[in-house]
Amino acid sequence: MSAAANPRWGMTVDLNRCVGCQTCTAACKHANDTPPEVQWRRVIDIEQGSFPSVERLFMVVGCQHCEEPPCVPVCPTGATQQRADGLVTMDYDQCIGCAYCAVSCPYQARTIVHEQKGYFASGRTAQEVATSHPERQGVAQKCTFCVDRVDSGLAAGLVPGVDPAATPACAASCIASAIQFGDFNDPESKVSRLSRDIPSFQMHAQLGTNPQIRYLYETPAVPGRDSAVEDDERLSDLANPLTGQLQRFWDWRAAMNWCFGGTGSGLATMAVVLWAAGLMPATLVRVWALGAGALMAIGLFCVFLKIGRQMRFWRAALRPHTSWMTRELYVVVLFYLALAGLLLSTPGDAPGVAGWATGGCAIAFLICQAMILFKARGIPAWRVHPVPALIVVSGLAEGAGATLLLGALVSGTASASGVGEGGRAMEGMAQALAAGLVVLVLIHASLWRLHVARAAEQGIGPLARAEFARIGGVLHGLGHVGPAVLGLCVVAGIGPTPLVAALAGILAITGGFWWKFRLIVRAGYQQGFALPRMPQRGSGHHAAPERHAAPARA
Amino acid sequence: MSAASHKVPVYCYQCVAGPDLLKVEVRDGVAERIESNYDVSAEHPGGGRVCVKAYGLIQKTYNPNRIRQPMRRTNPKKGRDEDPGFVPISWREALDLVGERLHRIREQGLTDASGFPRLAMSTGGGGTPVQYMGTFPAFMAAWGALDQGYGAGQGVKCYHSEHLYGELWHRAFIVSPDTPYVNYIINCGNNVEASGGVAGIWREADARSRGCKRVQVEPHLSITGAVSAEWVPIRPKTDAAFLFGLIHHIVHERDWREVCDLPALRDRSNSPYLVGPNGWFMRAADSGKPLVWDEADGRAKAHDAPDLSRPALEGAFEVDGVEHGPDGAVHTHLGVRVRTAFQCLLDHMKPYDPDWAAAQCDVPAHTIRRIADEYLAHACVGETIEIEGQILPFRPVAVMLGKTVNNGWGGYHCCWARTLLALLVGALEVPGGTLGTTVKLVRPAFSRTGSVLPGEDGFMAFQFNETSREGWLRDPHIRNAYRTLVPLVSDSPWSPALGPAHLPWLFQKTPPANWPRVHPPDVWICYRTNPAISSWNAPQVAERLAEFPFIVAFAYTDDETNHFADVLLPESTDLESLQLIRIGSTKFTEQYWKHEGWAIRQPAIEPLHDTMDLTDIATALAERAGILDRYVEAINKGAAGMNLRDRKGRFDYSLDPAQPPTREAVWDAVCKAASDDLSHGEAVHDLDWFREHGFQLRPFPQLDWYLHPAMVRQGLRYELPYQERLVRHGHQLANRLREIGVDWWARQLTEYEHLPTWEPFPDIWIDYAREYGRDPDEFPFWALTARSMQYSWGANVGLPLINELANNIAGHRGVVINRTAARRLGIAEGDELVLESVSGQTRGQAVLREGIRPDTVLMIGQFDHWKTPYARDLDLPSLNSLTDLSLKLTDGTGSGSDLMRVKITPVAKGGRR
Repeated sequence: MSAAANPRWGMTVDLNRCVGCQTCTAACKHANDTPPEVQWRRVIDIEQGSFPSVERLFMVVGCQHCEEPPCVPVCPTGATQQRADGLVTMDYDQCIGCAYCAVSCPYQARTIVHEQKGYFASGRTAQEVATSHPERQGVAQKCTFCVDRVDSGLAAGLVPGVDPAATPACAASCIASAIQFGDFNDPESKVSRLSRDIPSFQMHAQLGTNPQIRYLYETPAVPGRDSAVEDDERLSDLANPLTGQLQRFWDWRAAMNWCFGGTGSGLATMAVVLWAAGLMPATLVRVWALGAGALMAIGLFCVFLKIGRQMRFWRAALRPHTSWMTRELYVVVLFYLALAGLLLSTPGDAPGVAGWATGGCAIAFLICQAMILFKARGIPAWRVHPVPALIVVSGLAEGAGATLLLGALVSGTASASGVGEGGRAMEGMAQALAAGLVVLVLIHASLWRLHVARAAEQGIGPLARAEFARIGGVLHGLGHVGPAVLGLCVVAGIGPTPLVAALAGILAITGGFWWKFRLIVRAGYQQGFALPRMPQRGSGHHAAPERHAAPARA
Repeated sequence: MSAASHKVPVYCYQCVAGPDLLKVEVRDGVAERIESNYDVSAEHPGGGRVCVKAYGLIQKTYNPNRIRQPMRRTNPKKGRDEDPGFVPISWREALDLVGERLHRIREQGLTDASGFPRLAMSTGGGGTPVQYMGTFPAFMAAWGALDQGYGAGQGVKCYHSEHLYGELWHRAFIVSPDTPYVNYIINCGNNVEASGGVAGIWREADARSRGCKRVQVEPHLSITGAVSAEWVPIRPKTDAAFLFGLIHHIVHERDWREVCDLPALRDRSNSPYLVGPNGWFMRAADSGKPLVWDEADGRAKAHDAPDLSRPALEGAFEVDGVEHGPDGAVHTHLGVRVRTAFQCLLDHMKPYDPDWAAAQCDVPAHTIRRIADEYLAHACVGETIEIEGQILPFRPVAVMLGKTVNNGWGGYHCCWARTLLALLVGALEVPGGTLGTTVKLVRPAFSRTGSVLPGEDGFMAFQFNETSREGWLRDPHIRNAYRTLVPLVSDSPWSPALGPAHLPWLFQKTPPANWPRVHPPDVWICYRTNPAISSWNAPQVAERLAEFPFIVAFAYTDDETNHFADVLLPESTDLESLQLIRIGSTKFTEQYWKHEGWAIRQPAIEPLHDTMDLTDIATALAERAGILDRYVEAINKGAAGMNLRDRKGRFDYSLDPAQPPTREAVWDAVCKAASDDLSHGEAVHDLDWFREHGFQLRPFPQLDWYLHPAMVRQGLRYELPYQERLVRHGHQLANRLREIGVDWWARQLTEYEHLPTWEPFPDIWIDYAREYGRDPDEFPFWALTARSMQYSWGANVGLPLINELANNIAGHRGVVINRTAARRLGIAEGDELVLESVSGQTRGQAVLREGIRPDTVLMIGQFDHWKTPYARDLDLPSLNSLTDLSLKLTDGTGSGSDLMRVKITPVAKGGRR
């Protein structure tokens, strides 16, 4: 019986009992009416070693209902919550389908389905229609530990983990008794006893999530051992279930927010800095401000296109206390208010309140962007330092580049119209900006080298690292060397300044777009799965040790 | 507002490891979900659960590709490329059409000019269709001569040698470890975690947690190998050498007098029987009983002599007596030197040492020795255990065989060696040891221990098919000639399906010499079977089907077999029809219950289409064929699963033979009779009660899991290790065939040996290329198959849900090949491969794995569909397109092995699907 007043629901999964039959997967699909290809619970088939020393095992995966769930704080709407009993829940009516939770989960537990489909090409069957859940369309979904069964079971006086009707369908249906459900706060529950008596591990424990699925890996005949480190070749094989798949939740539309938004906010920041430094004529402030606002708007529109439930986008404002996505939304609102103030007022020689507010919001926006990526803990290539710094520096560099580009355009226009004074002022600004750009791209280059150098030790897999290599060549050439050389030319007055500055600006922006787009769309490999400990079975040195005496009589 | 849901109890018997009980959640007339019937958790040996396949039943019901009404063929031409031109007809038209054909047969006579039945019927799935056939078995019983010998893969897809030898030796149609007690299992290719069903997986998981060690010996690391303590990657088809090596180590390298169970060998086997110079048992001249040497007084005595106290196990002795050879030959001896059967065994096993075995099977000799030592260490020789108040030997070791191990050439050797390994340590049919599950060849079919009856020479009775001059069935009564060619397959209702069930297909194409001409049946009925996919050399079977004049196919969707049908009869499927079946006691594969009783399958929803319950179809056809009275009488006599009249006259729920009974009337009577019998009249329940409650049980003694008590009680011996009776039948059969000029079965007759002799079995397949004039070196790989938990027997290849689930398990997407071997051939993951054998080819995507020998490739399940909706688009390979129907590859029991030599050609680069 569950004795604890404050239950902590969790599971044990016995790797020596599980045979990978997928009965739990099927039972889950039935109990939860999940659509084609959506498996809240599934069992993966893992192979380690090489012939003839090989081991194969089956591992139940799904939402781990972490004690510190990375998906909860990032959620901008509060659709994903954690209950007092530890269950991580989903409110489909709240969710906007931004997928931030999905990229934040290191267990690949979340899915978003954008259209209701049946299994057969000819259309949905009567049963599929009867069991459809339109409320789940376009929003995040995942294993709930069958919270409805647990709650209704408790209400009926049943004991979750003991009575099948009160137990998650996967555990209740398991034909190997491999999956057990129960209350970890109750020392007498089966899960507590099993995890006390049999050595176990938690997946990705190093991430500090304290997942509530414990994997048991020992029997008297099959002792445990440390898992062999997977070599890069195996972890580069997408057929290997341990290999994290490329995330597809955030595609080019999401990436465009980092690209346009980064450049736009960088531009706004640079403009305010130059303005304050007296390097930008007040008359041109509006041009820059409008440019920044437009660029950021493009980025935001792209990301709006990406969310699953667009008409609910406003709900993203509900979690400023935890979610950087919400904070970004507030910053955007403030930015455009400040921008409106700026545009409606007459600019003076120095930024006023509206000017400083615009610049402040722009830099805050950059920081939000940096932190959104950084908090996406399901993607190793994003969640580590110096990614936030790279985003901020890149935004500033792109902003400097965009300012140079705009400046060159304005300067060209001024020259064409014979306004010499303006052209000279622009030249001064360009030299200062170019110097700044040189510094920024050098910092960025250094940070990128650091990111690449530390990638393996930070747990970034070989597929993402290979993508880093592809990113690096173009980034260094286009985004670092190009702007730096051209920037130095501008500083040294070599060549026609507007043209060289414009080129430097274009290269800086292109480099920034390039690496951020690739980082998000092409290097966003998920965490994958890992086993720190393994049962010792299979062949060769993986096999269980010799045993010449029978174990004690059952 | 939708109505509240209700749950309907039914059963799942889609695979041989069933039945398991489940409930269907129904709301507003729609079956929405499946869940296990947890009401039976305490009694069911698999915790009351159902496996993944049962969850496919809803999609199976609502599959839009179902045949929705009876159909008639309009294109008289048959062929794979011919459109059948099926057009809808009414049930009346369909039944009249079939009825008219049946009527015509009855007018012409039930058999054709060759003496073969004009009506034939095939079912698939290891007997499971009977659990869905309603009263159709009563129609079959009422009909008369019926050919049920057209196979759908039997012989390669079943545990064929085990069925036959297992049942002879220890009433083991299927063998199982006594999993709740076993501590050490040597598993040669047995894939119990994929094919053992819920009970198997549940019990084996408990055994592992308890500390049972399982050693998996197989060429690829299967599901079962994955969860075994050790995987031994053996060379295909050399398991007999491995097992012989184990035996050699036990009897020659260890002191067998110390490590073996001597009382078991002396008292429960024919080890002490004396063997004469001609290889037959030395018998007392007067009684004809086999003699044993009593060391107590140094005399030979009858095996059952009351004063026999110390039977000699080893040695040679001079005795007087007679040998009974084939065809009544009697060899009389005076003072001739004879050996004990066990001495013969010792001498026979001498050459098969582990070093020899290692060279054959590619398992290191030290591994063979270690496994044999571990086996002995775990055998607990001398220990006992109390079961239900009775003290029994406790021997927690078992040896299990997989299907390609115990089928075809070498199957006899493996079955014999496995059973002998149990016998040596007294682990046969005792707690913890190697057990049988159920009987299908001997009688009574419902009681394994009840079938332990005294027979000849101190052994259990076994009804061989006659081989004597007088008794031999010269003219086969059905096309696969099981009674004529295979004495060991006996003559039960299951025997036709276990005969050489591929021979009808083979002989239809290539008539053998001096043999009745095999013509296709006038009418062939197929139910829940798809031989055009599931047979060995399935494409060739499809060609033969095109030659059948009239096929009646009970049809679920279009498939590769009913493509050739003349009439499609769509029956109400699993969740739409009604039947009561027997559950509990002991059933294969690991269903060892401590209860027995009955369970219902009932319509959870109204039929979705214009289908009929098979019981109603059977009644309608019986009427049209003019055999209604016999049909109803067959039901009354138990053809629907339960005798409606108690033999002792205690109850009578029989139906009126003059009236066609309704489906409900039939099953109401069966429910009452079954519950009356089960409860001895205490709790008689009708159909409505079963509809509500789902099942009824009573206790079944665990002691009946073991033959040991019945063997001891009757003083019987297992017919091992020496095979005398079987070999005598073999010699007599050789004589009979010689007398009629049949020489094409000569190779098969060499399998009859007193003690099996190793031959290099792999060479049979390697050299087979020469039959086609090809060079064996062209085909360097072994191609194997393995059961898929998600698909096997489920007829669910057309269900996308099952495909989605199965794809979580490696290998379901194509051809599993060793990563290093693939690299050598320039093959990458997902590349399209063509696999070619001498007789066929198949295509599939490469799946690179480490858990497979470099000389072996694997294709899970049975695919290569070209008609079944959805499945035909999966582009999955199938071994059945590579194996060949061939006498050369057929062993003496009529089975083949599910493997072939192939060459592999990459034809296209591909990414992952």
